[in-house]
Amino acid sequence: MKQSLIIFFLGVAGLASAQDNYFYFNWDVNFPLSNTEWIGSSSTRGAKFGFRKFIGSERKFSVGLDVNWAYYQEYKPTETFQQPGGGAITTDYFNDIFHAGVAASGQYYFPLGNGERFFPYAGIGLGAARNAYKVSYNIYSDEEESWGFLARPEAGILVRLGERRKLGLMAGVHYDFSTSKSETYGYDNFMNAGFQLGIIMMQW
Amino acid sequence: MYRVWIGCICLGSVLWGCEPEPDAMKLLDQLVVSTNYDNNVNFQSYSTYSIATDTIGFVSNQSNDTILIHTKSEYPRPVLQKVVTNLNAMGYTRVAKNQNPDMRINVYVVNNYNLFQQVVYPNYYYPSYYGYGYGYGGYYGYPYVSTYESNTGSLVVEILDLKTITPDNKVKVIWGAYMGDVYSAIDVIKQSEEAIDQAFVQSPYLHN
Repeated sequence: MKQSLIIFFLGVAGLASAQDNYFYFNWDVNFPLSNTEWIGSSSTRGAKFGFRKFIGSERKFSVGLDVNWAYYQEYKPTETFQQPGGGAITTDYFNDIFHAGVAASGQYYFPLGNGERFFPYAGIGLGAARNAYKVSYNIYSDEEESWGFLARPEAGILVRLGERRKLGLMAGVHYDFSTSKSETYGYDNFMNAGFQLGIIMMQW
Repeated sequence: MYRVWIGCICLGSVLWGCEPEPDAMKLLDQLVVSTNYDNNVNFQSYSTYSIATDTIGFVSNQSNDTILIHTKSEYPRPVLQKVVTNLNAMGYTRVAKNQNPDMRINVYVVNNYNLFQQVVYPNYYYPSYYGYGYGYGGYYGYPYVSTYESNTGSLVVEILDLKTITPDNKVKVIWGAYMGDVYSAIDVIKQSEEAIDQAFVQSPYLHN
């Protein structure tokens, strides 16, 4: 217990003293991997942003907070559903998933060259995800929401536009696994892979 | 200057990532068709029916009107004719109301009325306006459960069992088709006709 407290306070102290950090804002393209019969189309309607702070002067480790969302939608042509008891419903419809997540993350960097412009990294984020599953037909809709644990391994690269510039580009790939489930729509969990591209504002 | 561009990119991304509404033009070009029936009924034991020619009912909590009449609206006649065509194709024979039909066909539009909250109660007795003018005191044992939470405008076609009228003059709905939303329809008459066809297509047990 004593050791844990020491480690915790050392960590907080390290964070507080570290000055180097960056904000990023990325366009996020995602591909669903769970229950792709319900929605199998990729999502270009997504974004991811966050703040990361380096620990130590070598800029090899960072910790931060990531927020992301993605909107999936797929049109389903007219179909007849048999109801329990003998009834039936015929309609065309849209299946939608609005996915949002927030994660605390850590990254390890492999600086290239003189260590000032190119920063490949690998990391992982852990947090929570909220999924809203929605079926829209004519003017009607049915919706179910769920929360779950989120785990997100991620790899990418930061590219500083110039050695004295604070602006840079960021590209990365990630895999998201969340326990956000929907029994109604056949999701035991929600998994997706994504590609992100955007800008970063560096503070060092 | 680059800060402005960054701001624009961020704002654009946020707006692009926001939840868009589904394409209404795709969803509104056909009505949702829901049918249900009393699966204890043998439809082969019915052979005749009666139906109005140019009047359909209108149930609303926003209007005092109780019927839609052919002379005031183009809607009733093609809708009723489509119901008749389908019933005849199923093998039933239309007769006059005073010829002791086996079934009565009720056709009405429900406007902004939460029909489905009421029908889930078992053995619920309906107000008399559902039986508009046909001398029945209400329904009993309504046989369907709907998934809709509310309707702003539904076309309803029902088959009433006139062979088993209760001593207190109540009749039972043995088949119902609920089609909506008629107020959002792009071409309401055409879409209603198509919906009625679909209601009978998905009810093959009606074949006589």
